[in-house]
Amino acid sequence: MLRAVQLTKTFGGLTVLQDVSLDFRPGEVHALMGENGAGKSTLMKMLAGLHRPDGGEIQWRGRTVRFANPHDALAQGIAMVHQELMPIPDLDVAENLLLGLEPVDAFGWVDRAELHRQARHWLAALDTDLDTRQPMRRLSVAQIQVVEIAKALARQADVILMDEPTAALSDHEVAALFRAIDGLRRRGVAVVYTTHKMDEVFRLADRLSVLRDGRLVHTAPAAELTPSALINHMVGRELAKVFPPVVTTPGEVVLEVRGLTREPAYRDISFTLRRGEVLGLAGLMGAGRTEIAEALYGLRPATAGEIRLRDRPVRLLSPQDALAAGLGMVTEDRKGLGIIPAMSVQHNLTLSALARFSSPTGIDASAESRATAEQIEAYAIKTRDPGQPIGELSGGNQQKVLLARALLAGPDVVILDEPTRGIDIGAKAEIYALIGRLSAAGKAVLLISSELPEILALTHRLLVLRQGELSAELDPRHTTQEEILRHAMPR
Amino acid sequence: MRLTPRIALGTLGLVATVLVTACKKAEPRKPGEWLVGYSSRDQSAEYTARLGDAVQARAKERGVKLVFVDAQADAQKQISQAENFISQKVDVIILNPCEVEASSPAIDRARAAKIPVINVNSLTKAAPDCYVGSDDEQAGILAMEAIAKKLGGQGNVLMIHGIMGQSAQIHRDAGARKVLAKYPGLKLLDAQTASWDRAKALALTENWIQAHKGKFQAIFAHNDEMAMGALLALERAGLKKDVYVIGVDAIAQALDAVKAGRLDATVFQDAVGQGRGAVDAAILMASKQPFEKEVMIPFQVVTRENVDAFLKK
Amino acid sequence: MTLARRFILDRNLVHRFGIVAVLLLISGLLAATTDSFATASNLTNVARQVSINGILAVGVTFVLLTGGVDLSLGSVVALSGVVCALFAHPGEHALLVPIGMGLLTGGLCGLLNGVLVTRGGIAPFIVTLGMMTVARGLALILSGGKPVADMTPALTDLAGDVGPLPIPLLCFALVALVSWVFLGRFRLGRHLYAVGGNEPAARAAGVSVPKVKLFAYGLCGLLTGLAGVVLAARITTGQPNAGQAYELDAIAAVVIGGTSLSGGVGGVLGTILGVLLIGIINNGLDLLSVSSYYQAVIKGVIIVGAVWLDRRQARS
Repeated sequence: MLRAVQLTKTFGGLTVLQDVSLDFRPGEVHALMGENGAGKSTLMKMLAGLHRPDGGEIQWRGRTVRFANPHDALAQGIAMVHQELMPIPDLDVAENLLLGLEPVDAFGWVDRAELHRQARHWLAALDTDLDTRQPMRRLSVAQIQVVEIAKALARQADVILMDEPTAALSDHEVAALFRAIDGLRRRGVAVVYTTHKMDEVFRLADRLSVLRDGRLVHTAPAAELTPSALINHMVGRELAKVFPPVVTTPGEVVLEVRGLTREPAYRDISFTLRRGEVLGLAGLMGAGRTEIAEALYGLRPATAGEIRLRDRPVRLLSPQDALAAGLGMVTEDRKGLGIIPAMSVQHNLTLSALARFSSPTGIDASAESRATAEQIEAYAIKTRDPGQPIGELSGGNQQKVLLARALLAGPDVVILDEPTRGIDIGAKAEIYALIGRLSAAGKAVLLISSELPEILALTHRLLVLRQGELSAELDPRHTTQEEILRHAMPR
Repeated sequence: MRLTPRIALGTLGLVATVLVTACKKAEPRKPGEWLVGYSSRDQSAEYTARLGDAVQARAKERGVKLVFVDAQADAQKQISQAENFISQKVDVIILNPCEVEASSPAIDRARAAKIPVINVNSLTKAAPDCYVGSDDEQAGILAMEAIAKKLGGQGNVLMIHGIMGQSAQIHRDAGARKVLAKYPGLKLLDAQTASWDRAKALALTENWIQAHKGKFQAIFAHNDEMAMGALLALERAGLKKDVYVIGVDAIAQALDAVKAGRLDATVFQDAVGQGRGAVDAAILMASKQPFEKEVMIPFQVVTRENVDAFLKK
Repeated sequence: MTLARRFILDRNLVHRFGIVAVLLLISGLLAATTDSFATASNLTNVARQVSINGILAVGVTFVLLTGGVDLSLGSVVALSGVVCALFAHPGEHALLVPIGMGLLTGGLCGLLNGVLVTRGGIAPFIVTLGMMTVARGLALILSGGKPVADMTPALTDLAGDVGPLPIPLLCFALVALVSWVFLGRFRLGRHLYAVGGNEPAARAAGVSVPKVKLFAYGLCGLLTGLAGVVLAARITTGQPNAGQAYELDAIAAVVIGGTSLSGGVGGVLGTILGVLLIGIINNGLDLLSVSSYYQAVIKGVIIVGAVWLDRRQARS
């Protein structure tokens, strides 16, 4: 039905996709796999009319088509759900969902009752019951994602392209999404989808295609592949060991939190964090994990409770305070609170540590460039040059720049909020290794993650949150994913 | 933002409050006292400010209650002000119009409400009941005649316009061109607008000096502000002695400059005369006595010889 | 890194080829069609005329980089000019007093804008719109509605020349140079880009957003004050109705120069090019004796066309 023929795309002299030919069939779920920068997103954006191919062509129902923009593609029945979600924050859920499709009454006014009824219908198809009257701004990333998928459903698309649809979803939401995708498959919709999560692919996809460095390296029915064979195709090498062993023995207490509260997000949170320790914070979406991290980092201070650093009480009312006190954080919201897209890799990287390079005569440019070069090498950041705008980098490389930014400021305590979300296996392995190195270097690490295998393998100790309260402290060596979930599930 | 009932109510409340406060301001009028509305073109420009002052002074002298507002050179605002006068039920409206066309609706509204209107200082497309002013065409004629006399009918002239489309600009231009037509030896080299603004006239004259250096012998600026700008540019380029500069209005600075021998001449427009004339006409109209439909206050050319008489005014 | 190398590496400059091309094209046309354009005295003349808009444009570049806007420029120019002139009567004060008072007036207006934007949380458009009318009103009150004349020659001489160079141009050049170095080489300069590029992310990276904004508005105000003093010296009076719509020319110059109205992208070099483009258009149209009506149309078309060319070229 939809066919890519020898598609090629270059950006600023860099070939990101070369001679890729693929078929997409009705009623088939087709997973595109590959590391970040392998060209999956680019391929999808060409199919959706966001980019124009530099070579090759797109065939739709047997005819060559050229999409000038996403509206063209949508008019033909090809919809895309973006990795970077683009809702209109001040419109409500129903208005976003049915943007451009608003039902009108006899006078040409928007029929609001009907609007909300239809919106609820499409959300119900995804097994979700969001309040369709709340503004988009108030939704979590996961909820926005659900609305975006419902939006594609509402447009009766024949092909739905999903770029990392599950990256930000909780297990419950993922299950709902999969039911919806099954429904799409039965209706004969072609689903094209990218993800980094191995287990998902084998549960969901009918066909797998692997891209590496812009080329198609393998395509086969999912039944003919094993996970390890798939990884081999993706990275082009065996990943002997993804997780490094936890070796360091924790030292003295660096951070102590007592009775931290901010209703309704979390209440009475108390724990300690030691030198060289990696402390895990697990819980479902909305359990208050990110909010606690933001309180520690001064982004959204708690209303009650005490934070002590090296046995001294501290008041952290802004990230500036936190950085000065020796606290660093890498946010889960890379786009909103992380990168400054138009600024260069170098300027993003050194932003939190500029004081170190500054003197009364200004920033020492050569020291800054040297430090940047070192960091780019240390974190294996793939960039044309340090002056390239960070917005042009892949998600994994952006994440590495943000890690480098937080660590360049020299914190004693590092908060990592979902550090591996939406990045490829190769980059994940690098970040796991980095966490091991941080711990070995005597940093105290607070690791928040939704991926349980990751949090079990990397931490010394594990706290579980349930609806804003600490429900358990577990030893990762003697617990299971099931036990964590039992403590995390609302009662 | 969607219009919710709360916002709508809030807005209504706000509007109501403003209206009530605005109405309270109008103090009760003593019997036998005339209420006159005056809308000034722009109280931040020197000439119209003087005219406004003259109107206020004369109103006080003659015991007329005056509602004084400033349109800040905005014709739109002037129309609303006329509408406010109508709802305040003034006896006469005196308008110092912003623009020929755009201020006309103000006249139409007032006439429709059967309130007599006097235009002072400049004209509008719609005819008022009475015009008190000076014939701007005459100002153009006087200025250009002075230039012709000085140059002996031979030479090149530059002209700096006021804001295009305003009555004063149109008529001063027309007057000047009538004189130019009379003298075939007098050539208009270029004419540009500097919007009554000193800084703009200064830059314009600097550019002219570049383009036509040595080729022009006189500059006629439609007002003194611009004449002062042209004067500064010529003085800084060391060219003043070769160029005759004349403005219109006789503002204080221009008179000082004439007295000091820097500016050659200006055309005196009698702000006090116009102001008095307008208020006097208003009283006649309010008390239903016969009045002149056109009261012309004459212009006079001010040079170094007669400047002292004007400096005293 | 050497200055020259920084200059070449300046991404903005590389992106500004479109504007440079338009600038050269128009200059070439003017040189070919008039005898007077390409003369030393006319170029000095252009330089003198662009200086005031240039100082304003550099100032407002700081504000636009943070994603804000300042509509009060023209009114604050008038207010600062009037204040300066009030203290500049011959024999009353030393030369530095009127200059200082003019700068102080502008700086205070800017700081007040900044405080209202940061502490008050009011949109910059509204805050500076308010300041626009307040400053104009204050200028009229302080001057009694009439131009403040009788300024000491010591001050009005500041509109003159040093050797072949007009003093206003030297002011502009100094302001531009210092601003360029500041934005490129200093922490606060870097922070300005960060705040404009992504304010929440800048805050999360430890940038004090209120401090940065306060600085931007304050500095813009100070430079506006300087422009007011230069204008007063140039027209030898403090004019309460001077500077009408100056903010539009200044903002146009900045945007032509590639600074984004949403902030985070751009810089002083582009602004200088934008200022020159507008200045040369104004000068050239007068030299060509183009009628006032057509001047307005031509100017608008060239400005929009230049930005269009530039953006098209930046995208490819």
